[in-house]
Amino acid sequence: MSFSETIILLSHVPVLLTVVYAALHYSKLPRELKVFSWFIFLSGVIQFTSLAFWFVSKNNMPLLHIYVAAGFLCLAWFYNTLLNGFIDARIIWSIAILFLLFTTINSLFIQPVHTFNSIALTVEAILIVILALFTYRFFLSDIVKETSGRNISSLNWINSGLFIYYSSSILIFYFGAVITAFSRSLNLYTWIFHSFFSIVMYTCFFIGLWKRSKT
Amino acid sequence: METIKDLSFLNALLPLAVIVFIIGIGVVFLNLHFQKNLSVQKLRQEALKSSYQQDLLRSNIHAQEEERKRIAQDLHDELGAVMSIMRMHLMVLEQQSADGTKQLQAPLQYVRQLSETALASVRSISHRLMPPQLESFGLKAALESVTEQINRAGEIKIELGCEAPMDGLHWLVNLGLFRIIMEMINNTLKHAGARSIRVDLFRHGQELVCYYTDDGRGLSDGNTSKGLGLKSIEGRVNSLGGKLEMGNQESGGYYAIVRLTLPA
Repeated sequence: MSFSETIILLSHVPVLLTVVYAALHYSKLPRELKVFSWFIFLSGVIQFTSLAFWFVSKNNMPLLHIYVAAGFLCLAWFYNTLLNGFIDARIIWSIAILFLLFTTINSLFIQPVHTFNSIALTVEAILIVILALFTYRFFLSDIVKETSGRNISSLNWINSGLFIYYSSSILIFYFGAVITAFSRSLNLYTWIFHSFFSIVMYTCFFIGLWKRSKT
Repeated sequence: METIKDLSFLNALLPLAVIVFIIGIGVVFLNLHFQKNLSVQKLRQEALKSSYQQDLLRSNIHAQEEERKRIAQDLHDELGAVMSIMRMHLMVLEQQSADGTKQLQAPLQYVRQLSETALASVRSISHRLMPPQLESFGLKAALESVTEQINRAGEIKIELGCEAPMDGLHWLVNLGLFRIIMEMINNTLKHAGARSIRVDLFRHGQELVCYYTDDGRGLSDGNTSKGLGLKSIEGRVNSLGGKLEMGNQESGGYYAIVRLTLPA
């Protein structure tokens, strides 16, 4: 097994740990983290299925198309729960529905299901980065500290994980198509970087779940 | 084969700049929306706090009135009864001493007079704590009794206008309004140097309105929210969920309007 393959394989370890931890403590989690756990479960299922496809040398790109749409819905649900009362739910759900329409059109007509859906991934990353950046500002508000102060530290870790991964993804997915055209080794390094940021994201998720208020 | 040098600035960096711009616009939009909702949430929180404080004030006043009622009853029924018996025995002893040893008669008479003064004090304290007419005959009778007593003294004339039916009011409303009016009368007597007071009570459906006016000096400038008496009036009106409007009349003198919405 090559170095790059080992890194890609290793990047699944934090995913597994986070999924198991979230499943074991699901009943004790506060509402926001319960909602977020569904994103963890979904990404766990998709990532391990696609890993299995990779082992049997089958194209796992259709799974990525599903992951982008379903993952964004889960994250929209999470941010809607988090920002409830401060950001109109209709705004977040309208964005989610529009994105769902866009990614469906993209998968059907622009980047078919057996190809890498870089456009949808980039748009998804932009939307998540907007929500994550705004959430940092949201947590600085005194009224938010008063009302949901107990879970802010935990939610900050999760938000940071999402921000780090999706902001790096914007660069990777956006330049991915350009870089692939230049050299195969550069393309492989891109995916190693992607795996590294994925490890960072799931580590942040794990810390976030770990640091939750246990009272 | 192409090289990285072939990547033009416009092709590679301009779209990225557009992405960053979109992200910036998105965050600014969410922030503006958040600022708008933040003030709504702050107002909601303030309203919650104020409602909690009002509940606290109401339960405080309720507890205070219950305690006053209990003390007034205990004073009147227990201490008052014991002192009445004591006075009766002293009267018997006085009669007996008149027949025998006359040297005891004067001290006994003195002790009996003391017991009568104490009995009158107990009665007066218990009536001040909880006017007996208020519970038995209602607000109108209690106010009439008080105004009659004050008018009898001759220093000031109180006119009471109460044509509205005051039956069926909760005892806390009766008591609250009674205490508010008494506090206003007390303020007028103490500070206004007035010669007359007019109190009118009206009832429009579920709304009970009390107009209070005097012909005294009125409130001094900037005194509308100061003083224990005024604060007590405000507190009581708030505890009853009512509205208080007060100030100086154009013709001079103080006026106050208390509006209470009675529960259906």
